[in-house]
Amino acid sequence: MAHAYTPAQTHAEVTRDVVATLGTPSRGYVMMLAGAVGLFLVGLFTFVMLLKEGLGLAGYNPPVMWSTYITTFVFWVGIGHAGTLISAILFLFRSQWRTAVYRATEAMTVFAVMTAGLFPIIHIGRQWVFYWLLPYPNQRYLWPNFKSPLLWDVFAISTYLTVSTTFLVVGLVPDIAAVRDQVSGWRKKLYAACSLGWTGSDNQWRHYTRGYLYLAALATPLVLSVHSVVSWDFAMSIIPGWHGTIFAPYFVAGAIYSGIGMVFTLLIPLRKMLRVEHMIVDYHFDNLAKLTLFTGSILFYAYAMEYFVAWYSGNPFEQVTFWRRAFGPMWWAGWSMIICNAFVSQLLWFRKIRTNLTALFIISIFINIGMWFERYVIIVSSLSNDYEPWAWGQLNPTWADWGILAGSFGWFGMYFLLFARTFPIVAIQEIKETIPFPRKRGGH
Amino acid sequence: MDETQDTGMDRRRFLTVLGVTGAGTAALSGCSTDRVQKLIPYLVQSEDQVPGIPTYYASTCTECAAGCGLHVKTREARAIKLEGNPAHPVNAGKLCARGQAGLQSLYNPNRVRGPKNRQADGGTADIPWNDAIAEFAAKASAAGGRLAVISGAGRGTFSDLLAAWTAALGGRVVRYQPFDHEPMVAANRQVFGVAGLPSHDFASAKFIVSFGADFLETWLAPVENQRGFAASHGYHDGTKSRHVALSPRMSLTGMNADEWFAIVPGAEAAIALSMAQVILAERSSAPADAVALRGMLAAYAPEQIAQQTGLTADQIKLLAREFVSAEPSLAVAGGIGSQHAGAAQLCAAVNILNYVAGNVGTTVRFGADLDAGDGYAALAALQKQMEAGEIAVLVVHEANPVYALPKSSGFAAAMAKVPYKVSTALVLDETAALCDLLLPESHGLERWDDLRPRAGVQSLMQPVMEPVFDTLPTGEVLLRAAKAAGGPLASLQAASWEEYLKARWQGVAKARGAGDFPTFWVTTLAAGGLYDAAPVSAVKLAPGAQSVVGTSPAFTGEGEFLFAPSASSLLYDGRGTDKPWLLENPDPVTKITWQSWIEIHPETAAEYDVREGEILRLVSASGSIEAPAYLYPGIRRDVLSAPLGYGHTSFGQYATGRGANALDLLAAPGDAAFVPYVSTRVRLEKTRRYQKVAKTEGSNRQLGRGVAEAMSLGAARRGLTPEEAHHEEAGGGAHEINTARELDAIAGFAAAQKAATLKGNYAGDHPQWGMTIDLAKCTGCSACVTACYAENNIPTVGEADVLRGREMSWMRIERYYEGGEEGEPLETRFVPMLCQHCANAPCEPVCPVYAAYHTPDGLNGQVYNRCVGTRYCSNNCPYKVRYFNWYAYNKKAFPEPLNLQLNPDVTVRARGVMEKCTFCVQRIRGAQNAAALERRGLRDGDVTSACAQACPSDAIIFGDRMDPASRVALSAADPRGYHVFEETNVRPSITYLAKVLTGAEA
Repeated sequence: MAHAYTPAQTHAEVTRDVVATLGTPSRGYVMMLAGAVGLFLVGLFTFVMLLKEGLGLAGYNPPVMWSTYITTFVFWVGIGHAGTLISAILFLFRSQWRTAVYRATEAMTVFAVMTAGLFPIIHIGRQWVFYWLLPYPNQRYLWPNFKSPLLWDVFAISTYLTVSTTFLVVGLVPDIAAVRDQVSGWRKKLYAACSLGWTGSDNQWRHYTRGYLYLAALATPLVLSVHSVVSWDFAMSIIPGWHGTIFAPYFVAGAIYSGIGMVFTLLIPLRKMLRVEHMIVDYHFDNLAKLTLFTGSILFYAYAMEYFVAWYSGNPFEQVTFWRRAFGPMWWAGWSMIICNAFVSQLLWFRKIRTNLTALFIISIFINIGMWFERYVIIVSSLSNDYEPWAWGQLNPTWADWGILAGSFGWFGMYFLLFARTFPIVAIQEIKETIPFPRKRGGH
Repeated sequence: MDETQDTGMDRRRFLTVLGVTGAGTAALSGCSTDRVQKLIPYLVQSEDQVPGIPTYYASTCTECAAGCGLHVKTREARAIKLEGNPAHPVNAGKLCARGQAGLQSLYNPNRVRGPKNRQADGGTADIPWNDAIAEFAAKASAAGGRLAVISGAGRGTFSDLLAAWTAALGGRVVRYQPFDHEPMVAANRQVFGVAGLPSHDFASAKFIVSFGADFLETWLAPVENQRGFAASHGYHDGTKSRHVALSPRMSLTGMNADEWFAIVPGAEAAIALSMAQVILAERSSAPADAVALRGMLAAYAPEQIAQQTGLTADQIKLLAREFVSAEPSLAVAGGIGSQHAGAAQLCAAVNILNYVAGNVGTTVRFGADLDAGDGYAALAALQKQMEAGEIAVLVVHEANPVYALPKSSGFAAAMAKVPYKVSTALVLDETAALCDLLLPESHGLERWDDLRPRAGVQSLMQPVMEPVFDTLPTGEVLLRAAKAAGGPLASLQAASWEEYLKARWQGVAKARGAGDFPTFWVTTLAAGGLYDAAPVSAVKLAPGAQSVVGTSPAFTGEGEFLFAPSASSLLYDGRGTDKPWLLENPDPVTKITWQSWIEIHPETAAEYDVREGEILRLVSASGSIEAPAYLYPGIRRDVLSAPLGYGHTSFGQYATGRGANALDLLAAPGDAAFVPYVSTRVRLEKTRRYQKVAKTEGSNRQLGRGVAEAMSLGAARRGLTPEEAHHEEAGGGAHEINTARELDAIAGFAAAQKAATLKGNYAGDHPQWGMTIDLAKCTGCSACVTACYAENNIPTVGEADVLRGREMSWMRIERYYEGGEEGEPLETRFVPMLCQHCANAPCEPVCPVYAAYHTPDGLNGQVYNRCVGTRYCSNNCPYKVRYFNWYAYNKKAFPEPLNLQLNPDVTVRARGVMEKCTFCVQRIRGAQNAAALERRGLRDGDVTSACAQACPSDAIIFGDRMDPASRVALSAADPRGYHVFEETNVRPSITYLAKVLTGAEA
């Protein structure tokens, strides 16, 4: 039986429409790709300059020793969380409405984590010895410090990247095979190689569905663990404003919130550009918006709780940090985070807004900005006024901060756009599964 | 034994070359005069330089007229650090920041690298020394007596030679220092009939009143003053002296006062006379001849003059009573901050005050005859001669009058009237830039010399290394010129300047009955000189005492603000501005680096809508300056201030064009006997342009966080801890918010924590290095900061990076204000902040690569080679004492030959790594190695950190805190001891001792 999220199409039409997304690119697509590559080149230039001159080019102002690079790192790791949530957790919960959007979000996850993974390297002082963070065998018996949350980060991020990439690739295999069957020439050869010999036999399907289930089960805890570990980079320290027990759930909720925000930002224009409006419909956005409302409300609670705990603890260091967060020199950043995240998300109580794609797109931009500022506020404002008042200082970002930020969007966008044109951005197989089997004549 | 012959490549030469690094060899051999001289080391009387082992030479500091003794640490034949000579009576082993930065004068890349003369086209060209000296000799002898010399050299064999040399040609020498204490000299002549400057015993004074005398900064011998001040004003044996400062602007000296009164500018003399009047009226113990002053003083009864001083009559009376009841007390006057037109009368009034209180002969001792120049009047007279065309040849030596005198005095124009000018300047300064012949002098560390800074002290200087550049001692130049010119100079013959100096010392040896000169010479040289106690001569009031007046001087010009320039202990009269160490060491008062500024009271600023960093223009009749505003609560509302020492137009790459020259505002001194620095009214103009101020101060309020603790003298006497003292102040007993069960849990947790910190590297079976810092003694002078830069190869980062808070000072002096609002008195607290070497260090576990780790002897180590630069350690440090190499500071901070100053025992850190205080681990290991060679353990005092070594106040004690008999363990047990941010449970190795405040009741 047909659901609101099921396209009124036959199996063949689904395949046709999805494969059509891989056809000749539109003008808009080419321009966006060029823009992404341009931004990436800006970032590359900035990075080369950082390598040549030193991190001093960025606006670091001790005691603010971490600033926009770590902010952007956490931002991208957070973005990466929505994908696995949608593809793995909702899969386990049999929420079938996920089928239309999960491929796009999963791709977003992989590329976001790929982007985030660059930042620990960009931000360290001696980028050329970043591999010292890895536990590799060496003659000097030098071993990393497993007590350091940064090392946990290395493992968390690399695990997450491995698992989410595997999950994406495995999910793609039947769809690539479907594309393979529709195209010709060198493209056929390429997709044939990528489809790993998929024939769609019952035997293959039996193994495949089992394997996919296990992978989903494997990926699920990572949704919660990775961002918890990232949050511990902060929570394990003794900095007022960082040292909070609330951090792990707070960060996970924030990550999912920001991830879905990014899904909106990507999918709303993309569905038009790739002409799959009939497959990704209001119903999907409505459900995603509900998830956004839920996680946004958790954030609202977390923000309130942070201030409450700061007040209730009687700890003067915490109190000053939070007072300055709201009314200090960075008040504008503090309030943008609260307004964009806690308040704007509350608009999603209204069904009219949840199903109005223009409104959702605008809200998603607010979410992206708000979540970047959330990390900026947590990192920069806490560092700028911690224990020792004499050492307080304010961050003043430079072109090198913005260059890397822009480059990260370019790097991410470049991969995402290329992916969307190379592989089916809508999961053909899973959509077909939701379409009732035709009574009169067989489909595919 | 001929010590100067060239011995070619013998064993010694070979070893020397072997020990010197490649770069050093190139630089040294490139510039050396290729002579091998045998120098006499002080501590290690060794035949040879042993590579890797430092050799110390005793010498004398020439950065100001005080004449402090030096120990010059050399490694592989180059000087790498200056420390005080413990045997020297002036500084007793201590050295101020400026003295230590003498090393950057030696290695300054802006030094004149060889003799030059002016060419026909107006440019200059390098010439050989022989030609230069021949030209100099010819011009000087042809001058026919129209020869004048301006010399800033201290009293010594050189000044004697210079006087004899000039006199032989019929010329005259003016000995000139910008800060020459002329008002004191005049006042002593007027009141006591003696010309000399006395010595001041701060150590035994129990009550010190400063009438604008910045005795911790530029006044007479600052290091000696500070030693004495810390000895009496630091808390010891249940007591401490009280210090009251009276000045329109709070200088560093004022910040160290227990009470500061922002008196009306120019009222100092009236207050001093008024105090004397009270003392004479109320006490009969005054010296008999002082009674005669009663009549003269009657006009200064507190009730009569209080209104015009900014103090109440009762305050003056209280001051007077406290002053006379503290036996002995000490009043001082005559610093730059009170050098107005009435400064001589002020000093005279203070002389009378000291005399009636019975301090003359006890804390003020005449007979020491501290070195002073001829004063500004002599220079002004010479200037008149120059303007009249009566001078044909002018030689300027160790002086820069074109910069040091206000532009309005027209000295540069007068110089233009002199046909031939010679300079011996080390750096092409404003005066040298106008000269026709440059005969660059060898630095004090490159030449033989001596100084007699006060009666009884004869301080030697010796070359500690080959000259860095092609320079000669001016003594040598004079002797060679005498040989070349002959004639009247023929009597001044000596084989060399060294021989000339030795000949004089042979006379000294003979006079002291020393039999064998070589032994006498080696011993004296090793000790750094001869130190006899200064004679004390009794003085009586002279008739001039009756004519002392306490009327306020007139201030010239229009405008609602009085301009009172300030002189800092770092830049002094402007000679410090060419040294990056002194520019980057924040001004002790404002904490501004690399920039000049204008101090304005916050309330005045609010009235004029001025924010920090707005560029203000001050306009006087003589000129104007522009600098960013700095809001300073320690200045009167009707006074503005700007630092001296900036605004050089020619003084090397670091100083030239940096900041505004405060002297531009001053009117020409005219016939005054000294430059009245505080004399001009100015108009304040807003520009509405803004500039970030390069200050190292984040917040100047500690928000009750207990970084800089203080307690009353009463509380300290009763042995209260800072915490107990706070509870008491808050009114009432201990207020405990935890229940008994919670307290048990907290105690149990603390015990478990402690047990955890006693395992492995924390076990304490090694020495555990620790430090105590006594805030009652620390004056914020910042000598420790420069000592740390010198010892640990810390790069200076420059103005742009200080603006981003990236200064690398492992040791910084934090300056917190207390009070100062709504009529409360303003109190200043200084906290030297450095790595606390926590036993439970938060920086260590967060480092992913173990670059931050704990050594078995309690050091918080930092492995530069391993550091990848995540900077997490710095984030997690509550004290924020870790510093990151944002750029390759090591490449740009030490342009050749400044790189020769680097300590070879300390890594020069590369870009991208974190660095921090190591407790001078190289000094610890050096002492441990030395002890091991002697097959013994370390004794307390064998090892001290560079900061503790330099501290003129002895506020810092370093040692093994596990040794219960060590000074550090004993001092840390003081009830005043506390740890900063103890609540973070990081268990720091540094114990601070709370400052002790003396209220008026004590």
